[in-house]
Amino acid sequence: MAAAPSYLLPLLQLSDSALPTGAFSHSLGLESYLHRGLVHDEATFADWLTQFIRIQLVHSDALAIRFVLEAETEAELHRVDRELHAAALPREIREAGVKMGARMLEIARAVHPCPELEAYAGAVASGACAGHPALAFAVAGRALGVPAAELLSAYMFSTVTSLTQNAIRGIPLGQSAGQRVLRAAHREVGDAVVLAQTLPREDFGVTAPGLEIAQMQHEHQRARMFMS
Amino acid sequence: MTQTAPGVAVGGLVGDAGDGPVIPRLLSGQTAAGGLGLPDAAYGITGSAAVDRTGPAATVGRLGVPPEWAGTLSLDIDQRGAKSIAVRQFHDGALRVLRPHYLDESGQVCYVVINPGGAYLGGDRYLIEVDVAPGADLLLTTQSATKIYRTPGSRAEQHMRLRLGPRARVECLPDPLIAYREASYVQATRVDMDPTASLIMAEVVTPGWSPDGALFRYDEIRMRNEISIGGRLTLLDNLLIRPGTGSPVDSMCTMGHYTHLGSLLVMDARVDAALVADIHALLAPIDPDGQLGITLLDGPGLALRALSHSTEPLNALIGAAVDHLRGRWTAQAPLNLRKY
Repeated sequence: MAAAPSYLLPLLQLSDSALPTGAFSHSLGLESYLHRGLVHDEATFADWLTQFIRIQLVHSDALAIRFVLEAETEAELHRVDRELHAAALPREIREAGVKMGARMLEIARAVHPCPELEAYAGAVASGACAGHPALAFAVAGRALGVPAAELLSAYMFSTVTSLTQNAIRGIPLGQSAGQRVLRAAHREVGDAVVLAQTLPREDFGVTAPGLEIAQMQHEHQRARMFMS
Repeated sequence: MTQTAPGVAVGGLVGDAGDGPVIPRLLSGQTAAGGLGLPDAAYGITGSAAVDRTGPAATVGRLGVPPEWAGTLSLDIDQRGAKSIAVRQFHDGALRVLRPHYLDESGQVCYVVINPGGAYLGGDRYLIEVDVAPGADLLLTTQSATKIYRTPGSRAEQHMRLRLGPRARVECLPDPLIAYREASYVQATRVDMDPTASLIMAEVVTPGWSPDGALFRYDEIRMRNEISIGGRLTLLDNLLIRPGTGSPVDSMCTMGHYTHLGSLLVMDARVDAALVADIHALLAPIDPDGQLGITLLDGPGLALRALSHSTEPLNALIGAAVDHLRGRWTAQAPLNLRKY
């Protein structure tokens, strides 16, 4: 009988949507669309999620993961961290990256202690890096030897799952509706994995005005369930 | 090769034979004041070029290989007495500046960029480089909208490089960008600024009408702003609007049912959360569609984005924010850009 690859269980653990990174309290702009009534049911949430994957998840998080896998020096890793942080204009998105990044880094160090994660943690502690969950995840995945496509799939589907759980509470949606949205997102995440491996460097951090405005407006929204 | 005005430091081509393509170099010996022995007053220039451009390292890559650019413009702004002025200026091809003028008594110099060709076409690449010396103050604008026509199989590009020394100030407030049917356009701006410098950059992007009256027939617009403060990358603003592929442009995360985009970036050590809240309170009443986003940036700084169905509401929002900052920081009157 063949054994599972040694990275599988650590990868599953880090991809768990219940991982205590604080993702359950970040809607990443979704709440502004709930507030405006543009997202109000399964279909409108699925539409929003598709756009979020195509815009932010691919161009920021997924491209960052790929660039970490391709980085040949620590300086290149730091550059990716810097660009990812600088590309998040909405304050709450930047702060979400820093907060969730610190938690993901701490968990990753416990799940797979290795010099690469220690070095990245040192850079975050010194202020040389800002920290971001995608980067901590990528550094761990690289040290574990996870193939790029699997690492990208696991990270993106984990994010999509967290956002769907938030939508289930926030809209609210039924649990079955949430699972249908997740199943329908398989294809979108699959396309995103391919895209993230082919996009040029100039596309790193690309975003779209509607999403950015929604993420900025959330700062000024009065009654809020989510921190972003 | 065209000289903006005799006496302004413009060299001819200095080729390095056998060393690749011919590189235009600015000859440092021909300085603004008296390089050709002409009176300063004729050009409103009251000093000599402060920036040394003698070494190849200082010039290679500044203006690139001639055929590479459809137009180049290079300005060095410095203070002369109580006023700022270009102490060196250079242009080539389809980019020029009008002679400097002063909109108020602040000493801030205003340069108006003009594109004699009237529009950007496919394959056109434009380069604008501006150095602002310590304490100097520049308002950079355009004479009219930047129009991007069809760029079949290609794209038009504008590359801008701004350097701001200590306490330097730049307000970059161009007319709207209008992209017509089948236009692809990249606007990439890189800013290197001192932590004590002050930067305001605005942009309005509008679709041109196509013959059948439909909007959004342009292929792609990329607006990339990369701002480093004290050598550290602080802002990477990378907008991509690509109607027709990927997420539809009318999706709620892209443009919704709106057609026009306004953007304002401010990088200044005086920006804080309270100022962002003030500007938000100031602008909310003139944001009828509720399509305004404003946020505090690291730097510190602030970013404003808004969507609309026309240019005027966006100009009103951006103008109100800019005027508020002018009143607060430099006690300048609201901006009135009469086009010359």
